[in-house]
Amino acid sequence: MSKVKTPEDKYIQRDRMRYIKNSACSNLCYLGLLFDVFYFVLIYRQDVGTYYYTIQIGASIIYNLVFMLAVFLASEAVKNYKKNYSIVLLVAGAMQIVRMFVIPAAAHSAETLVAGEEVMVMTDGTFTKAIVYLAVSAAALLFSAVLNYIRCSALEAHVKSLENSKA
Amino acid sequence: MAELSLQHIDKIYDNKVQAVFDFNLDVKDGELIVLVGPSGCGKSTTLRMVAGLEDISNGHLLLDGKEITQTPAKDRDMAMVFQSYALYGHMTIYENMAFSLTLRKENPNVIHKKVLAAAEILGLTSQLNKKPAQLSGGQRQRVAMGRAIVRNPKVFLFDEPLSNLDAKLRGATRREILLLHKRLQATMLYVTHDQTEALTLADRIVCMSMGHVQQVGTPLELYDSPNNVFVASFIGLPPMNFYDVKVVGDQLQGNGFKVTLTPEDKMTLAGYEGKEITLGVRPENFIEGEGIKVSVTNNENLGMNTLVYGTGEGGVKVTAKLKGWKNFKVGDTVSFDIVRKHFFDKETTNAIRGDK
Repeated sequence: MSKVKTPEDKYIQRDRMRYIKNSACSNLCYLGLLFDVFYFVLIYRQDVGTYYYTIQIGASIIYNLVFMLAVFLASEAVKNYKKNYSIVLLVAGAMQIVRMFVIPAAAHSAETLVAGEEVMVMTDGTFTKAIVYLAVSAAALLFSAVLNYIRCSALEAHVKSLENSKA
Repeated sequence: MAELSLQHIDKIYDNKVQAVFDFNLDVKDGELIVLVGPSGCGKSTTLRMVAGLEDISNGHLLLDGKEITQTPAKDRDMAMVFQSYALYGHMTIYENMAFSLTLRKENPNVIHKKVLAAAEILGLTSQLNKKPAQLSGGQRQRVAMGRAIVRNPKVFLFDEPLSNLDAKLRGATRREILLLHKRLQATMLYVTHDQTEALTLADRIVCMSMGHVQQVGTPLELYDSPNNVFVASFIGLPPMNFYDVKVVGDQLQGNGFKVTLTPEDKMTLAGYEGKEITLGVRPENFIEGEGIKVSVTNNENLGMNTLVYGTGEGGVKVTAKLKGWKNFKVGDTVSFDIVRKHFFDKETTNAIRGDK
């Protein structure tokens, strides 16, 4: 049974943020990164002939690199309660949702020739996996963004109240 | 409340080398005991045995009357502060101080309160978000102390905590430890080879040599009434001067000098008539006078005092600490009188006291 938090407990919890890193948000970023990696490994290892050899896959590779760099930097920033990086994470999370409607949606309904035979580019199982990976990645990043925003706001208010009480 | 009792403790290593012989000590609640002695005398080994980091070969260790000789270190409720600080470089000061409590899965809010309280005591509040590498040596040592304080242990153990600090910081940190002891009123065992630390910090000093306890007493007792030649030579800076002399009537006859005995001295030396003894004189117990005549070999001005080194007839060497600023030149002749003498049996090296 969880204990009822007293006002003092809440105060200490806020005060702890001055010294404890925002590991929860940072770890959520890493989770988002990890599931993005699962996603692109799933897509890139598919043996579907030349189906993916288009400008779209080139853009996808570049986007993945930029995404990983941005999310990694954001993870380090939110660890230190940088409020603005919530926006970066919100955008990254939203983009993961958008991506569900780009490659997976297009590949799921497509067929291609492999060794003279018509095959499905993305089976139902692979499609589900890809969507789940992107969804988990998006959820982690969005949750991290919201949590970071709430914590940063609470910390800002707490520090301000401490400064006011000192003055 | 934390009373510590060490009873007949020996330390014998696997290679049969004995580091500590029959160590006996009762530490009262809130007492600050300093173990002092030269390198290799067994003081750190004794401390490590108390901490549980070394096995006790023989004897008993009791904490508040409860036997803890075989109790693992983690269950002894003691916190140790090391010379090397032993801080985690990748953690902040806050995390370093909170680490032991986090390992014990204490409530984070309770940990927070304890860390802030310890930081407040040690003046580290503004440093809590820094890493150890960003702090000075003295601050790092305070963090190490803070880590001990948050655990609220029954006994604090300090193993030469100031040895890595420069002279100025050492003095400042020493005063902080003393204030800390007064504030916490905790039982503390402190190991050092620095007699200044021992004299300034201790409620009682345990002076050790070659694994044996030479004397246990207050700083004044050790300075004023050393049990033997070792304690007399170890405590006091510069060390005591020693001379082989013979008791002849109301005089002590040394090699090239004579010293007249006071009636009290004669009572103390009753039974030593005609025998050879060791005369001990602290440098500060020499004053300029008419007695021992020496030729000055060195003159060191320390501000308030002057250290005068000289050699007399028969090669007798004198180190005297005179008040004020003196300007003796090498080769000048100075005569000294002795205001306080210490007598030691030449065979046993034990102090000769009138009542024995």
